Amino acid sequence: MARSSTTSDVFNAIGDARRREVLDALIEGEKAVGEIVRDLSMSQPQVSKHLRVLSEVGLVRRRAEGRRRLYRLEPARLRPLHEWLAKYEQAWNDRLDRMDDYLQELQQQGERQ
Amino acid sequence: MTPNRHGSAVIEFPNDLEIVLTREFDAPIELVFDVLTKPEHVRKWFAPYGEEVKVCSIDLRVGGDYHIVFMTDDGTECSFRGTYLEVEPPTRTVQTWLFDGWPGVEAVESTELHEARGVTKLTHRLAFRDKAGRDHMYKTDGLDASYDNVEDLLRSLHQALSPGAQGEGPAIG
Repeated sequence: MARSSTTSDVFNAIGDARRREVLDALIEGEKAVGEIVRDLSMSQPQVSKHLRVLSEVGLVRRRAEGRRRLYRLEPARLRPLHEWLAKYEQAWNDRLDRMDDYLQELQQQGERQ
Repeated sequence: MTPNRHGSAVIEFPNDLEIVLTREFDAPIELVFDVLTKPEHVRKWFAPYGEEVKVCSIDLRVGGDYHIVFMTDDGTECSFRGTYLEVEPPTRTVQTWLFDGWPGVEAVESTELHEARGVTKLTHRLAFRDKAGRDHMYKTDGLDASYDNVEDLLRSLHQALSPGAQGEGPAIG
């Protein structure tokens, strides 16, 4: 298991269900750690740990407001995942579209005969 | 003339080990089955982006082997092979699935067809033997993300993303 890559790869960073929950919690907007803790009923150390991993891959960004530390989502960093899925879908669709055209062609030939 | 169904494949990731794709075709089930299993037909559509299919041998019977090779534009050979486990024309085949690019990854592929009112629905399922195998689809190691969760997440964040595709894609077979 290449556990060490967790910190460098968006794919791995979201491989953890709890981290995805933390991301989900931030969809509504910027939040302090305490708010995330309350929303998810996770412990503060857990939330902080997940936020650290998510920050390292750039999926969340932190800013300070007085003594509060606020976290917000950087959804653009999910683009590699989005691209992967889009490409997979595209390749399959291209292949099946060609099969579709070919089936139509065969049927038209059949009708002509 | 019915409108074409281009781009309508639905891809799902029902669990950690499987990828399931469904798609409908306006053709009778026997013809779709032939197009999926006869080499002279498979050559016409197998390569995902229309690359040249160099090898296409299919011995369609239980215990029979298939081997299909296509060449990508940059000269990389993509070779898929396996052995038929079940052959039930015109509704179903089950076969092992090995991609030479991913040594050690084993999957069982099944193709099921169902016809209703002249429309044939294809359900294509790729079940990896273990999670490490399916994770190859991501081209990263040690991943334990589950695709369906990824999909949900992407959906909820979709407005902030724009589609686009660069770089090397996943193997399609």
